Amino acid sequence: MHPDSNLEKLMARYQEGDYAAATDLIERIGPQLHRFFLAQSQSRKDADDLLQETWLRIHKVRHTYRPSEPALPWFYAIARHVRVDHYRKSVWTAVGKRQLEAMTKELAADPRESHRSDALDVLLAPLSESEREAIEMMKVAGMSLEEVARATSSTVGSVKQKVHRAYKKLRVTVSAARFKTGQSEELS
Amino acid sequence: MKDQEIDGVLNNAGRAPHELAPEVLQRVADSIKPTLRPVRLLPPPWVMTCGLVLVCAAVSLAGAARAGFFGFEKMDMLERSLIFPALAILAWMAGSEFVHAKIPGSLRRISSGALLGIGTTALLIVFAFLFRDYRTDHFFSAGIACLLAGLLHAIPAALLGWLLLRRGLAVNSVSAGFAAGTLGGLAGVGMLELHCPNFQAAHVLVWHVAVVPVSGTAGALVAWTLRFRAGSRPYKRISPK
Repeated sequence: MHPDSNLEKLMARYQEGDYAAATDLIERIGPQLHRFFLAQSQSRKDADDLLQETWLRIHKVRHTYRPSEPALPWFYAIARHVRVDHYRKSVWTAVGKRQLEAMTKELAADPRESHRSDALDVLLAPLSESEREAIEMMKVAGMSLEEVARATSSTVGSVKQKVHRAYKKLRVTVSAARFKTGQSEELS
Repeated sequence: MKDQEIDGVLNNAGRAPHELAPEVLQRVADSIKPTLRPVRLLPPPWVMTCGLVLVCAAVSLAGAARAGFFGFEKMDMLERSLIFPALAILAWMAGSEFVHAKIPGSLRRISSGALLGIGTTALLIVFAFLFRDYRTDHFFSAGIACLLAGLLHAIPAALLGWLLLRRGLAVNSVSAGFAAGTLGGLAGVGMLELHCPNFQAAHVLVWHVAVVPVSGTAGALVAWTLRFRAGSRPYKRISPK
């Protein structure tokens, strides 16, 4: 049985129109998706909006989920789609540009809003967007290589390649951090 | 440093608790409540793939019926038994890929670009094996007419395919456009093989086969343009209730 079989059962009930199953799913998946958005968005408010936008999309296309398939990659595939849409809108529209500027100012003014101190974000900072995404899905959402491939609409081979490259970079980063820590300990 | 050590560092960092205000989740739940009702699921992927292959075959046959089955009549049994099954297999692969591109969270066995490469190469191999007339009479004039006719049939096949899968969601629209274009291109090649009596190797290898990559690329470009246009609309912020 799939480790997330409860998610699949809840999803089937959600498709049947069960509100309790829908709220259960929102409570279980919502925080994971929020973290996924927060890792690459400018502010918490932005991540909140993306989460709501994603759920509206999930709700609209809930008939596309197939009961025999794992549910988590399906959720992440839609979340990723919404995030890419949002990114494009932010970048390509004047409104988006103004919003981004305003957010940047907001962040500069209030450092508590920043989430960049999150240990995982700091660790994943040197990775490219696609590598970070694959690692986040595997380590935060606990997805397998196949599930990450499903969520990112790519092949297992391509995900393996991204993870391999990410580990290569992480090895350098973590070794350098340890070396620095060792040096400062020696000095003190 | 070993991979297990990196795993340990990542797992520790990933396990950090993530706080999310309950009001946010409640707002999400409230927003879907008014429209929550049972939904009709999508049919199984193989049914949708069958539908796409049938659309492909119908467009090819309709086109050839209007223009004449001159190519089919001129072919011998070996040519018929290799070309049409090869086209059917490739159409099945393209259809299956298209269906997976329209269902979020589907496992992709090959990328759409690879599919286009495989389709084009397979056709080149089959045609190179079968057609040994190396003359190049009216290479450009006859060739461009065939390419245009093929593309003209690729468009309705791709559009009908898109219409058939309209209830799906393409999370990667460029990839879906690639697959739809490839499928349409195969319908175009099917029509040309049924209709075109010009069996010169250069003509078939260049102009007939070109329908598939041109149509696939056009499909991807159209999808990219539509997505780009949709992406340039201002982002609508959902205000809290």
